[in-house]
Amino acid sequence: MNAFAWQRPGTVAQAAALLPSDVDDRSAALMAGGQDLLTELRNHLVEPERVVSLKGVAGLDALRFESDGSLVIGALVTLERLAADAQVRARLAVLAEAALSVGSPQIRAAGTVGGNLNQRPRCWYYRNEAMVCLKKGGDECFAQSGMNKYNAILGGGPSYIVHPSDLAPALVALSAEATLVSPRGARTLKLEDFYKLPSEVGPQRETVRAGDEVMTEVRVPAPAPGMRSTYAKFKERGSYDWALSAVALCLWTSGGAIADARLVLGGVAPKPWRTPSTEALLKGRVVDDETCRLAGVEALRGAAPLADNGYKIPLTQGLLTRALRSLS
Amino acid sequence: MTAPDSNAAQIAAAAAAANALPPAADERPEWTPRAEMTVLNREIPRLDGPQKVTGRARYTHDVRLPGMVYARLVVTPYARADVGRISLTAARKVPGVVYAETVKADDEGVRYQGYDGILVVVAAETPEAAEDGVRAVRAKVTPLRPPLVTPEQALADGAPQITRRGNVSSESSRGDSDAAAAALEGCDAVVEATYTLPVQHHVCLETHGCVVDYRGGDSATVYHSSQYVTGGPQEFAQYLELPRGNVRVICEHMGGGFGSKFGAGTEGLLACQTAKALGRPVHLMLTREDEFLMAGNRSGSKQRMVGGATKDGKLRALLVEADRLGGVGQGSLPTPPYIYDVETSWSRLRSVHTATDSNRAQRSPGHPQASFAMESLVDELAYALSIDPLAMRLANLSDPVYHRQLQRAAREIGWDAHPHKTAHGAPDADGRALGIGFGVSTWGSSSRPDAIVEVRIHPDGSLEVSNAVQDIGQGSRTLVAAIVAEEFGLPVSAVTPRIGDSSLPTSVYSGGSITTGSVAPAVKDAAFNARTALAARVATALGVEPDTLVFRGGRVEVRDDPSVGMSWKGACALLGGDPLTASGKYRDHLHGERVHGAQAAKVSVDVLTGRVRVLRMVCVQDQGIPFNRMALRSQINGGLIQALSYGLFEERVIDPIHGVMLSDDLEAYKIAGAQEMPEFTVILDDDDDRQAAMGMAEAPNIPGHGAIANAVYNACGVRVRDMPLTPDKILTKWLEMQR
Repeated sequence: MNAFAWQRPGTVAQAAALLPSDVDDRSAALMAGGQDLLTELRNHLVEPERVVSLKGVAGLDALRFESDGSLVIGALVTLERLAADAQVRARLAVLAEAALSVGSPQIRAAGTVGGNLNQRPRCWYYRNEAMVCLKKGGDECFAQSGMNKYNAILGGGPSYIVHPSDLAPALVALSAEATLVSPRGARTLKLEDFYKLPSEVGPQRETVRAGDEVMTEVRVPAPAPGMRSTYAKFKERGSYDWALSAVALCLWTSGGAIADARLVLGGVAPKPWRTPSTEALLKGRVVDDETCRLAGVEALRGAAPLADNGYKIPLTQGLLTRALRSLS
Repeated sequence: MTAPDSNAAQIAAAAAAANALPPAADERPEWTPRAEMTVLNREIPRLDGPQKVTGRARYTHDVRLPGMVYARLVVTPYARADVGRISLTAARKVPGVVYAETVKADDEGVRYQGYDGILVVVAAETPEAAEDGVRAVRAKVTPLRPPLVTPEQALADGAPQITRRGNVSSESSRGDSDAAAAALEGCDAVVEATYTLPVQHHVCLETHGCVVDYRGGDSATVYHSSQYVTGGPQEFAQYLELPRGNVRVICEHMGGGFGSKFGAGTEGLLACQTAKALGRPVHLMLTREDEFLMAGNRSGSKQRMVGGATKDGKLRALLVEADRLGGVGQGSLPTPPYIYDVETSWSRLRSVHTATDSNRAQRSPGHPQASFAMESLVDELAYALSIDPLAMRLANLSDPVYHRQLQRAAREIGWDAHPHKTAHGAPDADGRALGIGFGVSTWGSSSRPDAIVEVRIHPDGSLEVSNAVQDIGQGSRTLVAAIVAEEFGLPVSAVTPRIGDSSLPTSVYSGGSITTGSVAPAVKDAAFNARTALAARVATALGVEPDTLVFRGGRVEVRDDPSVGMSWKGACALLGGDPLTASGKYRDHLHGERVHGAQAAKVSVDVLTGRVRVLRMVCVQDQGIPFNRMALRSQINGGLIQALSYGLFEERVIDPIHGVMLSDDLEAYKIAGAQEMPEFTVILDDDDDRQAAMGMAEAPNIPGHGAIANAVYNACGVRVRDMPLTPDKILTKWLEMQR
């Protein structure tokens, strides 16, 4: 990595003021746990003049349930802490399971919620400095016609990355909101609206975050009573890997039938892939083979696999079946 | 400091001549019967274990010397490229950079990915400055297309020539193809299939490299992560243009070699050139990316096979056309039918070259590739004939050792009670299927006669054993001490092993499982000679015949009258002022050849996701005398893990359009981790009563991945013929079967 200036602001406002507002201005990089940024620096995917660390900012490590049942998660809460929290595990299993599925114990000990939600893709063309792909300002998504076993089957084009975050599908399933603070003030938006497809925001971005916005916290509203949830992540290698596919599922049942559902897919699209039509289909049905089959077909409707990633369709359907059965 | 490596041997020889009595002509060392061993054939914790787990063991990477500079390489990512002007101006201006030189001649292009892709060497006062220097090098590099990184590109009409031998070389055939084809006619089952294996990397935890301590003058010491310390001075002396005797090579500990670290390599040459130019010590260890690009690999292979068997389970005919895929290297593959007996067979082997890094020896070179194809074919024929695949194997293996071992492995894995032996099973309601598969292995376990060992007994009772051998991880440091301890009836802790230094008496390389078979006899010989000499002194002092004396329990005493004797320390005190030094050499009668192994794997296949989970691996392995049972089991575990990782994950990936390696880090090049580990059952085959030293490390990583693939078929009927057994392949094939 190149030499850079190390900046350690004491407040969120100071941090935001140190960041360039133009998202294409990469002269400064924001760092929380550094687990993704360090790999980007090492591979020279970013070469900032300044790294702005959030470690000196107090108050970003809250993890608490409010009296209304909502959960507040500070951006600097580590994945390890989130995964181990007894209340989170009991009330929001999908979130705890997603946190536990990330990386390795070392990465979870250092990696943060804010960093996980804002990490960059793992596509091996993007990560290889020699390949100046669309995501790095080049002309071509090399994965589209190249080695695309790990790439998107949904929402792809012109870039075919998959979003690497495990927390994102879980939090979108939980209808979470994120707060972003910039010199222009704070805004809160649904995480579902935070992530965008390359066709929506261009191939070089994955979110609507402005260059000088600092994600400070995530708030999970209290789920309606009776929710059961799970995060079914499939890693090619169980020890330390990203998702080939993942299913974040929240289910409410009544009298043996599904009363309501939230379903978000991970590892298959450039953003957490919510599928409202599948949620609608599930309502009123009991979990049986037919329901699993129909939900699988509906969830993958519109999937357009590349040469080497067609397996992600049955894989995702299999994970959905497992998730539905585990919650019924 | 440099010690010419001939001095020590001369001193040793002189001392031995002065202080050792020659053994009687009719006496020669023999291995102690196993039941009488007090140190060997037991669990011996490795002597350097505490150093390693506390981080105190010094590896080559860890060497820091006064005035040392760090060297880094500028490497092109492309398989083939034109190289225009290389500008070093900016690199040389980077603060801390003391050296930047091109490796390429003007207009010399890059012909293949690997050593030929090195453009520039940069050295600096710190690793960070060296890295900055590398980044500051400007070179006009234009990738060439096609990159010639796949066999199809290399074999295409009009493809540019990759090696001097062309794009196909070393073609050979054996057997009569007409006779083999005719033999197929009489078969009850014929299987025609193509088995492919990807290129596997060694993935040494410690990357390749060395620290060259040369500060001008006429001598040098080189710290080298090496599996051939004795051979090091010759190569490094040549690169440093110094007399061979003035170069000393040291490897105290090494972080893996697996066959890829026999020589200095281009990185060693460049380190020497840099040290010569600067007159300062140079630290040049490859980065992980360099390691994937240029540090060798296990060649891939493509084996087109037609096999036939009759309904009695006998293999009658086999035709094989196989390509070794070793990049610019030859690749390796033993001639079919490998271990099994086939009545009539024909094979044609050839090397198909690509513009990629040359293969190197890798733990049992060629055998895991041949094993996968042959074990799969035998399995496919068994199921085609509705024969138990275990029985099918027994019917085609003539060596009774395999029968004993396979039956033991089958018993351990629970084959008898397994519900589906002659046809594949089916998943349960939750989509999971259980299966069992088998495979066998072999290795020659030869030896080399070079090793010379010195044992020195000091008058204070301390004891040293010296040999230049490296400890590649197999535990040679512990082994040489344990053999001496056994000889003198002392605990292992009483012996100080000195190894890993070319100034010590000559040793052999660690490769082909020859280390134990070559070094242990020489250690035994030296210990025997030392004991004989000391026994003579004690006998004189006690007034008894030397051959009545035994060394046991820290004493030297008369075998039948233990009251006549003295303590070990008392015996050593008889030496007076000078130590007793004895030399030993390789003794062929103490060595044995040929090991056998049988393995079984039990897997769970999840047909909803394609996940193969290995639940259990059983290995029954012979090895002559099991000197250190703990080290043997550990090494077998390592072999099983390598085979599992090869079978489930490992695969080099190069983009076929751009010629850039996409799997050049440990994220994309996946190796098995803790969560992939099955239960290991390692059985040292004590029915092998050969009283002989032999290595066996190659054998355990030969058949495991084939056994796993066979278990996958047995579980659910999915036959994967192209390794690795990744979920995408399992799932796709399973769904094809359901249509």
